[in-house]
Amino acid sequence: MTQINLTINGRAVKAEIEPRCSLADLLRDHLQLTATHLGCEHGVCGACTVLINGAQARSCIALGVALEGAEIKTLEGMADDARMQVIKDAFHQEHGLQCGFCTPGMLISAWDILGRKPDITEADLRIALSGNLCRCTGYQGIVRSILLAARHLRQIDETQKGTEE
Amino acid sequence: MKPAPFEYHRARDVEDALAVLNSHDGLANILAGGQSLVPMLNLRVAPATLLVDISNIEELNGSGQESDAVTLGACVTHAEIEDGSVPDPSHGLMPRIARDISHRAVRNRGTIGGSLALADPSAEWIVTMLALDAVIRVRGASGSQNFPAADFFLGTYATALPEDAILTAVQIPQLTQAARTGFYKVCRKIGEFAASLAVAVIDGERGISRVALGGPSGAPMRLAGVEGLISSDTRAEADDASMIRAAVEADLSAAGRELGADALHLHGTTVLRALRDARGR
Repeated sequence: MTQINLTINGRAVKAEIEPRCSLADLLRDHLQLTATHLGCEHGVCGACTVLINGAQARSCIALGVALEGAEIKTLEGMADDARMQVIKDAFHQEHGLQCGFCTPGMLISAWDILGRKPDITEADLRIALSGNLCRCTGYQGIVRSILLAARHLRQIDETQKGTEE
Repeated sequence: MKPAPFEYHRARDVEDALAVLNSHDGLANILAGGQSLVPMLNLRVAPATLLVDISNIEELNGSGQESDAVTLGACVTHAEIEDGSVPDPSHGLMPRIARDISHRAVRNRGTIGGSLALADPSAEWIVTMLALDAVIRVRGASGSQNFPAADFFLGTYATALPEDAILTAVQIPQLTQAARTGFYKVCRKIGEFAASLAVAVIDGERGISRVALGGPSGAPMRLAGVEGLISSDTRAEADDASMIRAAVEADLSAAGRELGADALHLHGTTVLRALRDARGR
């Protein structure tokens, strides 16, 4: 067993884990943070996507022991995040999910994509989202949802700029 | 938990990593970004009894611009290259290639050194480093060594990296402003390893015309015949697609890569499109 210290959703966490324990298993089995889903468990499906030091990463192929001092965010820790709320509302409005299994990973990826590329085109969004698999929607609703969220976020941004002036 | 049990050591510096690596009585592996190694551990196809984690070693995370080259530490990530947060010696070629590696979640953690040390025949960086004539730096128990990329990649997942050594950095010559670069790859699905991948680097001021191909099993290769065509004065003829295709086929055959008609067509096409990409820039 190895002891590690890291920050998860703003909370300092000290854990005793085996070196072979993935971040995903640390989150789900040790900390009961089950919003992060496990699909393929070898880095292909994207369901387990979380933020490591603010950037999207796959928690099934990140070893917990290798994350000493890292800051992890999962969907649970983003309940008060303004950008995430806009994305969740858009998923609701545009049917961005059916069974919901891929949704946590989709939401985190969308948050990361829109943070870096607020004006992303549909074609580029489809490429940027290609690491997250969904077996229900055919991606149509997901893509519509994220594009809607992008429009809403740009509007919010414009309004805020207007207020500042 | 999917992998078989293993021990873990977080190395403080390269010397510490080497000491632990070389005193281990079993199968030790270097862990950097883990984006290939951990899936292989999860699938239990890569046995390991010890992982030596080099990702926190400051020296390996750095990068530097020299007068005629850029040095990237082994743990520089694909995303850092994509975002331009490390110096680019290639006038945009490396960021363009980085942007197309796997998916962003993988690019955020996967490292250039890890990709070079693994040497998957379809991986982007081994082909690119060959085309850019980079130097691979390694450090082992007996000191440092530099390998030209052409001498480093020996075959499928096979490199000249000694067992007691760590790949520490890659030094990439600076292209001149006149350099043109091209890149094309074919993947069945976005983010997967390429079935074929070609990189062209043409720098008239330095008399450079290099074309490198990845995808066929084995080491990435320079295409001498194709390079001869594009560097000769018969530019009009070299524009002839059938001549380029024939040269690709001859180069592959000369290297002992006997491929079927469909594979030859595929590789000929990626080379042609990489050259076209270079001309357009």
